[in-house]
Amino acid sequence: MQIDNRELAQVEAVEGGSGGLDVEVSGLVKHFGDRQVLYGLDLSIPAGEFVAIVGRSGCGKSTLLRQLAGLDTLSGGAISLDGKARDELGDQVRIMYQEARLLPWRTVIQNVALGLPGSRAQVRARAEQALAQVGLADRADEWPSRLSGGQRQRVALARALIHRPRLLLLDEPLGALDALTRIEMQRLIEEIWRQHAFTAVLVTHDVAEAVALADRILLIEEGRITFDEPVDLPRPREHGEAHFAALEGRVLKRLMTVEALTPRNQLRGRVTEILIDKVLSEVRLLTPAGLVSAAVPTSALRELPLELGAEVLAVFKSTEVVLATTD
Amino acid sequence: MTSPIEALRNGARGILPWLVPVAILVVWELSALFGWLSTRILPEPLAVLKAGWTLALSGELWTHIRVSAGRALAGFAIGGGLGLLLGLLTGSFRKVEIALDTTLQMIRNIPPLALIPLVILWFGIDEVAKLFLISFGVFFAVYINTFHGIRSVDPALIEMGRSYGLSGWPLYREVILPGALASILVGVRYALGFMWVILIVAETISAQAGIGYMTMNAREFLQTDVVLLGILLYALLGKLADVAARLLERRWLRWNVAYSAA
Repeated sequence: MQIDNRELAQVEAVEGGSGGLDVEVSGLVKHFGDRQVLYGLDLSIPAGEFVAIVGRSGCGKSTLLRQLAGLDTLSGGAISLDGKARDELGDQVRIMYQEARLLPWRTVIQNVALGLPGSRAQVRARAEQALAQVGLADRADEWPSRLSGGQRQRVALARALIHRPRLLLLDEPLGALDALTRIEMQRLIEEIWRQHAFTAVLVTHDVAEAVALADRILLIEEGRITFDEPVDLPRPREHGEAHFAALEGRVLKRLMTVEALTPRNQLRGRVTEILIDKVLSEVRLLTPAGLVSAAVPTSALRELPLELGAEVLAVFKSTEVVLATTD
Repeated sequence: MTSPIEALRNGARGILPWLVPVAILVVWELSALFGWLSTRILPEPLAVLKAGWTLALSGELWTHIRVSAGRALAGFAIGGGLGLLLGLLTGSFRKVEIALDTTLQMIRNIPPLALIPLVILWFGIDEVAKLFLISFGVFFAVYINTFHGIRSVDPALIEMGRSYGLSGWPLYREVILPGALASILVGVRYALGFMWVILIVAETISAQAGIGYMTMNAREFLQTDVVLLGILLYALLGKLADVAARLLERRWLRWNVAYSAA
C-alpha cells in the first residue's frame, strides 16, 4: 500500500509537476536565545510519505515543523526540498495549525480562497471544489463563527489543499477536537492524502493518531530523533485492531523508557498507594525524601502495571519543579 | 410566527424607554401652563416647537444647521483622517512609532479647550480657528484607537496570512485592517461625540452663522425658546452621528457575533 502510494506520487510528480516533495533535513540546529531546542537533527522523507512525529511537549517537534514551514529562521543546518533550498519551493508547502486560524471577517469560501490568484469566477469555482472535498459545500457563505471546531478545521484543510501543496505540514491540527470528530478528520486527511499523494508531516502527541495515519513514526526527545519505525499496517486502519494496538503500545513504551533513562532528577522509592481514575491516575511513593505523589496517565499504567510495594524510580524535569508549602 | 401576546410584549418593549421622557414633557408643559415655571427660566415645550417651526419656515434654521454640520464634518474629516493615517503608520511601523508616538502622547494630554487663547492668537476668530479646534479634539480619539487596533491584531492570523503567500498591501487588506476595524470604529464613535462638544464651544467664541451663533444671539434677546431649541438641535445631531457610527459598525463588523446580534 505504502509503496504503491510512493510510486504513484513519483509518477504524478513527473507528469504534472504535482505529487509529493522530497524532504531532506541535515544538521538542523535551533535555539531561542540561550535555550537550545534542536541539536543537529537529520531527517529525510521520501516524496509522498506520511510521517508522524511524536514526543512530549517542549521536545522540539513543533519547532521542527515551523522550520519546515519557513516560519522561523534556522540557527544552523539546512533544509532542502526536492534538492533545492527550502525558500525556492516555499509556495508548495502549506501548514495546518492547531487552531484553524480562519479570518473571522471573511466568509468560509473567502477564507478558503485566501491568497489564490486568478479571476473571481475561477477562484470561486476552485474554492467551491475544495470545500466540497471536505464536505462543507453548503456552508460556503457563512461566517466562520457559525461553524463547530471540527468544521473550522475542515475549512482550514480546504484552504491548505486549494494551493495543491506538495508538502503538507500538520501541527497537531486535531488536538482540540472531540474523539469522534477527531477520527472522522483522520479518515478525511488520509483519504485526501491518498488522492493527492503529497508528502505529509504530522506532529501529534496522540500515539494512536500517529499509528492510524503514518507510514513512519518518529520520536523526538530533547531535540533529537530517538526512534524511527515504519508502520506496515494496511489502510484504512482500525483503532481496535490487534496489530494497531501492539504498535501503539510499543511506541508508548518507548516514549516512556526514553523519558526514564535521562539521569537527572530521580527519587527511588516504593509504591504505597495507587489511585486509578479515568484519564490520569495517582501513584504515591514512599521515598527517602518523604511521600511523593506522581500523576501518571491511566493508559500508561495499563501498559506497565505497577504493584503495591514495587521498587520504582520517579523521574522529574527540573523545569517542572514547583515549590509549595503544605499544612 | 409571533403570537399576539409576544407582539404585545415586543410593542411594550419599544414603548417602555419613551415613557419617562414623555412624562417629563407632560409635567413640564403643565407646570408652564399653570405658571409655576417662568418662561424666563424655561419656556414651555410648545413654545420651543413653535420657535423651531417659525425658524424652519423662514429657512434660517436650515442655514444654521448646514453651517454647523459642515464645520463639524470638515473638522472631523481633517482630524479623523490625520488620526487614522498616523495611527496606521505608527501601528504598522516600529520606526515611525519610535519617532512620533511619544510626541503625540504628550500633546494628547492637552485639553483642546485649553488651546483656545492660543488658537485665537494664531488664527483669529475665523473658520480656521474652529476647524483647528475640532480637528485637534477629534484627532486623538481616532489616532489612539487605530494604533491599538493595529497592534492588537492576532499575530497568529498574521503568521497564517504570511505562510499563505500574503504580504504587503494584500496582507494589510485581508488581515490587518479588518482586524483593527472594530477598534478604529470605537475611536470614530468617540470622536463623533467629542466633535459636537468642541463645536459648541468653538461656535460660542464668535460666529456669523451656525447653531451656536443662533443660541448666543437668542440669549442676547432673552429668547429662551430659541436657546433651548439650539440645545435640542445639538442633542439631535449628536444622536444622529452616533446612529450613523452604529450603522457602520453593524455593516462592517457583521461577521462579529457581538455586533451582528445587536
